[in-house]
Amino acid sequence: MSNPPKPALECRDVTVKFGDVTALSDVAVSFAPGQIHAVVGQNGAGKTTFARVAAGLVQPTAGAVDVMGEEIRTGHVSQSRAAGVELVHQSFALPPSFTVAETMEFGATGKGGIYSRRGLAEKWRTHLAGLDVQVDLNRRIRDLPIETQQGIEIARALVMDARVLILDEPTAVLSPSGIDMLFARVRRLKQRGVTVILILHKIREVLGIADTVTVLRGGRKVEGPLPIAEVSAERLANLIVGDAIAKTLDRHERDALVGTKSPVGEGAGHPENATGPSVLSMTAVSTRPDSEGIALDGIDLDIRPGEIVGIAGVEGNGQKTLVRAISALADLASGSIRLAGQDVTGAPLAARRAIGLRIIPFERNVEGLSLTSSLWQNWSARELLQGSLLKVIRPSAVREACDRSLREWSVHYHNSMQKAGSLSGGNAQKVILAREVDSDARLIIAAQPTRGLDIGATAFVWQALRQARDRGAAILLISSDLDELFDISDRVVVMLSGRVNGEFRAPFDIASVGAAMTDAAARTSA
Amino acid sequence: MNEIIIAILRSGTPLIYVTLAGVIAQRAGVWNLGLEGLMIIGACATIVGIMLTNSILAAILIAILMCVLASVLLWFVIDRLKANPIIAGLGLTGLGVGGTALAVQSIFGSQASVTAPFGIPKLGPAFGAYGVLSISVAAMPFVVFGIWVLLRRTRFGLRLAACGEHPFAARSVGANPSRMRLVALSIGGVLCAIGGAELAAGSLQFFAQGMTAGRGFMAFAAVIFGASHPVGATSAALFFAVVGALGIRAQLMFGDKIPHDLLQALPYLATVFGVWLSGKLRGGAKAASSFAELKDQ
Repeated sequence: MSNPPKPALECRDVTVKFGDVTALSDVAVSFAPGQIHAVVGQNGAGKTTFARVAAGLVQPTAGAVDVMGEEIRTGHVSQSRAAGVELVHQSFALPPSFTVAETMEFGATGKGGIYSRRGLAEKWRTHLAGLDVQVDLNRRIRDLPIETQQGIEIARALVMDARVLILDEPTAVLSPSGIDMLFARVRRLKQRGVTVILILHKIREVLGIADTVTVLRGGRKVEGPLPIAEVSAERLANLIVGDAIAKTLDRHERDALVGTKSPVGEGAGHPENATGPSVLSMTAVSTRPDSEGIALDGIDLDIRPGEIVGIAGVEGNGQKTLVRAISALADLASGSIRLAGQDVTGAPLAARRAIGLRIIPFERNVEGLSLTSSLWQNWSARELLQGSLLKVIRPSAVREACDRSLREWSVHYHNSMQKAGSLSGGNAQKVILAREVDSDARLIIAAQPTRGLDIGATAFVWQALRQARDRGAAILLISSDLDELFDISDRVVVMLSGRVNGEFRAPFDIASVGAAMTDAAARTSA
Repeated sequence: MNEIIIAILRSGTPLIYVTLAGVIAQRAGVWNLGLEGLMIIGACATIVGIMLTNSILAAILIAILMCVLASVLLWFVIDRLKANPIIAGLGLTGLGVGGTALAVQSIFGSQASVTAPFGIPKLGPAFGAYGVLSISVAAMPFVVFGIWVLLRRTRFGLRLAACGEHPFAARSVGANPSRMRLVALSIGGVLCAIGGAELAAGSLQFFAQGMTAGRGFMAFAAVIFGASHPVGATSAALFFAVVGALGIRAQLMFGDKIPHDLLQALPYLATVFGVWLSGKLRGGAKAASSFAELKDQ
């Protein structure tokens, strides 16, 4: 071939700065048309920023973007879309109150006019059917399961003649079978001539689907696009992690962190360590329905001291409600909750914390920390809430204790007066650990404790949870990352529609756990 | 019976126009608490416009211009200066109520109410008993229908709602939430001007200080009660007007037996009831989250 085809998408020395932070630094990469390209890297590597630059949502500080050989105006979604670049977001960007048909229409361009409800459904029915999305077009987004929402977001992205489709971490929210369905869909798009760029962070997924792979680390391109036949899982793992950190991790830990192999969890699981009476004992707990999520439906759950129990499940199957029920933030319709032998069914959170309940909440920056308060105020909240309201505080003494504790947890910070919002994600999580993982902790709820953290910080959190377990604390770990669950849990409990749908012990089998995550019939206990 | 219907339409029409302005703003993600101020600016500008130009058309155009300018100011303060939308809206209300009093004082040299020689044209004898109503009352159902089509049956309406509900989703398809809010508040400005004009020059023909007497807030309550839906909010506004008209009726029938103040308070009590009911029905969660997303921008 004398004339190679023009790249479908090419970034020329793209740099993006947000204030002092450089998210992308001189990234130059070009993607050949008609293939499936993977972009991988740890959290904070700049993958999402790269995708948003291509989609026009982020204006690069420097550099240019070409689509099919033509330079586009950067920083304008309409320009990127006109050139045929579409982006499917990690946590989908669909207005929850919209119907499926409305969702399709609001993103469309071209002829609009006044529609009727029926006409709109007619208009989009064939489009969705052509993409194998089976759904009633008059249902609302908020009522649909996550797999369907993703199908709709992909269909939304393809309402126009998209030539480059970028999917930002599409597998993060899916069950194993959902991932298979997604990959089948992606392969069909490739057959239709669409260039697909998948942002992923698990090596086995990359090896299973992509034609080429590009690795980002710390905002720079490390390597790529490499043809997939030329890279081994081993090499890819080292490229993602980086040599400096790779040395500090044992091989097994590294494999779990980058999802090299099918997770089996051979290193976890010491249920024999867990002895003694249950720290947490939930008996037939159901909650009243409320606006914040689906209700629990007869949950039985026991956690003993010295064990980590992982909660698996597709997001939105009652995990948040479970945490709210244990922390007295949801109304129980029936059932009882015992903490360390005491019945706390009607007890407020303060009483439960006094017994030894600790929470690393889902939303680090909303529930976990007050970003506009200082580190010592955030750190001392636990003790201050337990003392009487009229207890006199000496701030200097609290600050000293805070400094000691934060140093022990190797938090990188200037001084304890700085605002919590000025810390990176990993350091912010360490502040929460310093507060919640103390020697009086008897039950620690760790809700998505590593979400958004880079590999070093993730390994740190895992280590902290293991140490707390070895000291005899009971740990409830909620995660949507099966590698994480399988690596550090002693038992895994699967939640589906607010119920417990299976319980597993190591060695974990991804197929049966995956089946329990989606299929009500797979009620098994291995 | 006709009398009651006429009374309801007279008091309900200005409220409905202003309610529609609130609906559009709400759908775009702005809690517009400046409705009261916009309405009184519209009322004052209409009467002053009639006095100065001697033309009702010119007067209404002046009112529209003033209200749109005030709405753009609100947008600028919220969107560009990043002020809290609630406080900015209340500020606009203060500006409207105080500014119109100042304008009347400086133009006519007294704080007394200003009476115009004529108002908005009436429907005329061809409509029988209803001929005393102004043409903007007759136009009201068509405007409600038009806004319903715009918001619920066009892509523009979908994008507007997306901007309020999920600004990031709107941005992802190329819409500009900031510009959409500007458009929404500007359309609202036009509607508030017509609402204010109808209040001052529809059945009456005068402007007095503070004459909106909380109708803008009542309209805002109708937006919440009606779940930001154009027809729902219009029905809520109409409900408040019905309660008000029945209150006046009751006053005439029972005279002194019921405290006069209590009957006058009826529409306001109905408003409180309506907001309570809507909170009961929907938990009020959606509105709170859309406000949070607006701040996130």
